Amino acid sequence: MAESSRTGSNSRAPGVGEPLVVCEEVVKVFGKLRVLDGLNLTIGAGETFGLVGPNGSGKTTLMRILAGLVRPTAGSVRVLGRRMPDPAIAASIGYMTQLSALYLDLTARENLRFFCSIYGLRGREREQRINEILERVELSASADRVVGTFSGGMRQRLSLACALVHRPRLALLDEPTVGVDPELRRAFWDYFAQLNREGTTIVVSTHHLDEAARCSRLGLLRFGKLLACGTPQELLAEAGTNDMETAFLHYAARERRKEVTA
Amino acid sequence: MNGARILALTTRIMQQIVRDRRTLALVFLGPLLVMSILYVVLTGSSGSVPTLALVRPTGAGSETLNTLIDRLLPPGSRLKTITILPDEVETVLNKGEADAALIFPSDLATRLARGEHPTLQLVLEGSDPSVASAMRETVTALVGQLNVALAQAQSQRGQAQGQLPPVNAPAAPLLTLATPRYLHGGPDYTFNDALAPVFIGVLSFFFVFLLTSVAFLRERSQGTIERVLASPLRRGELVMGYVCGFTLFALVQSVVVLLFVIFVLRVHYQGNLGLVFLVAILLTVSGVNMGIFLSTFAQNEFQIIQFIPLVFGLQVLLSGIFWPVAQLPSWLQPLSYLLPLTYANEALRDVMLKGSDFTQIAPQLAALLAFMLLMIGLSALTVRRQVA
Repeated sequence: MAESSRTGSNSRAPGVGEPLVVCEEVVKVFGKLRVLDGLNLTIGAGETFGLVGPNGSGKTTLMRILAGLVRPTAGSVRVLGRRMPDPAIAASIGYMTQLSALYLDLTARENLRFFCSIYGLRGREREQRINEILERVELSASADRVVGTFSGGMRQRLSLACALVHRPRLALLDEPTVGVDPELRRAFWDYFAQLNREGTTIVVSTHHLDEAARCSRLGLLRFGKLLACGTPQELLAEAGTNDMETAFLHYAARERRKEVTA
Repeated sequence: MNGARILALTTRIMQQIVRDRRTLALVFLGPLLVMSILYVVLTGSSGSVPTLALVRPTGAGSETLNTLIDRLLPPGSRLKTITILPDEVETVLNKGEADAALIFPSDLATRLARGEHPTLQLVLEGSDPSVASAMRETVTALVGQLNVALAQAQSQRGQAQGQLPPVNAPAAPLLTLATPRYLHGGPDYTFNDALAPVFIGVLSFFFVFLLTSVAFLRERSQGTIERVLASPLRRGELVMGYVCGFTLFALVQSVVVLLFVIFVLRVHYQGNLGLVFLVAILLTVSGVNMGIFLSTFAQNEFQIIQFIPLVFGLQVLLSGIFWPVAQLPSWLQPLSYLLPLTYANEALRDVMLKGSDFTQIAPQLAALLAFMLLMIGLSALTVRRQVA
C-alpha cells in the first residue's frame, strides 16, 4: 500500500501553511434557497480540513464550488491561487462525489482508465498508476469485474480511487464514508492520513462527528454559514466539552442567540 | 479540443455499448427483422388510383380507334387517364402527373389499314415499383382487348366487302406492345426497393437518438457527469466524444443493414453508396445531439420513451416515407419540410433509386447539415447549463 511521490506537474505548490483555498463572503442562491450565506473560509496547504454539518447545511454546494462545477452567486472563491471556476486547475483537483458516480457497465479498470485518460495520463504511466491505486484500495483482485456486480463498499473504494488516480494536489471528498462499515471507514481514514503526509491537501465532509477528530482542522457548517472553525482540540476546549456532538450543539445554540439579538 | 480526451470518451462509449449485449442484439437484429417482415408483407401491394397518360393516334381515321380505346379502358375508379402530346411524356411522368404513358403511333389507323402490325410503347415512371407493375398488367390487358376488338372489326369489314375470312384466325396480333421503358428503376423493382434506402437512414437516426439520450441521462442520474465536468475535459470535447462514439457505432449499424438489404433481401439500388453514408452520417450526428438535448428534459428512461412518438411517429408519418409529401393536406406540408427525415428520405431515394449524384441532392444535404448544426448548438447549450 505504497503511494509514490507526486510528479513534476504539481511542482508550483505553495509552501505549507500558505492558503490553498480562500473563500470570502461566498453566497450561493438556488431559486429562493440561500444555500451558502456569506461564507468565509481559509484552508492551508497540507491540511486535512473537515466540513461538518447536518444535511442541507451547504457542504455539497461548497464542494461543488471548490470543484469548479458551480459558480458562486456572490463573493470570491480562490483555489490554488485561481479564482473559481477555472478549468485551468481542474487537473490539480480530485473530486469524489457523494454518490459513487461510476459507470456500472464497465469494469473497475475501465472506469479508472477512462478517468485517467480525461486527466491526461497515458500509456504505461497510466496502467502503472491504475495498478497502484487498485492495490491501494484493495481492489486488485476485482479489477476486471463489471462494477455493477460490486458491493456498496467496493463501489465506494473504487469511487475514491477514481477521484485520486491522477494524483491531485487538492482532494475534495464529499461524504466518502457514507454507508461504509466501521472497518473500512478506519481504512479510509488511514489512507487519508497517508495521502496527507505525502502532501495532498484534503477537504472532507462528513456528518460522522467521531471522524472529525482525525482532521487537522474543522469547519462547522449550518444554514450556509460557518459557525466555528479551528482544530478539534480548540473547538472542544472553547465549548467546554470533550464530545464533538455537544460542541456542535453548543455552537449552533450560540449562533441562534446571535440571530435573536441581531 | 484535445484528441486524446475525446478518444477516451469515444472508447468508453464503445465499451459500454459492447458490454450491453441485449441492446446490441436489439439494435443490430431488430432492423433486420423489421426489414424482413416488411419485405414479406409489402411486396406487391398497391397504393392509390394510378394515372395513365395516353399519346393518342391523331392521323386520318383515328376517331373510331380513340372511341374503341376509351370503351376498353378500365372504369375511372381503377384507372385515371389523361391525354398528352408525344413530347410531353417525360415531363408528365417526372412531375408525377401520371405513373405511366402509353404511346400510340399517330398514324395508327393508316398503318392498320395497310395491314401493318404497329408497335405501342409503354413508358413507366418506375420509382414506385408496385404502381409500375400494376400499370404493366393493366396496359398489357388493354392492348390484348384492343387486339381482339380490332380483329373482330376487321373480319366484319372483310365479310361486308365480300372477301373470304382469313383461313386461320390472325396468326399475329395486330398490335404489339414493345418492352416497357422505365424512367427509373426496372421491372424487378418491388416496393421494398423504394423503402429500403429510407430505412437505412431512419434506423440509424432512431437508435442513435435513443441510445444517446439514455446514455446521457444515465450520466446525469449516476452522477458521473459531475466527475466528468470537474475534470479538464471541455464541454465541446464531451459533445465531440459522444458524437464520435455513437456515429462510429451507427455507421457499423448502417453497413450491416445495407449489406442485409442488398445481399439477403436482394433489393436493387443504383447510385453512389458513399452518398448514402454521407446522409447517414448527417442524420446520426443530428440524432446524437438531439439525444443529448432532449435527455435533459427527461427524469428517467421511461420519459425518454415518451419522446419516441413525438419525435419519430411524427417524422415517419410526415416525411414521405410511406406516402408522398404531396399527398398530405396542404396545411401539413410546410411541417414536413421542417423535418430532417423528409430531406433524408428524398436524398436517399434519389441516390438509391434514380442514381442521383452529389449536386442533385445538394439541397437536401444542405437542409440536413443545417438541422445538424442546429442540434449541435442546442446540445452544447444544454451541456453548459449543467453548470449552474
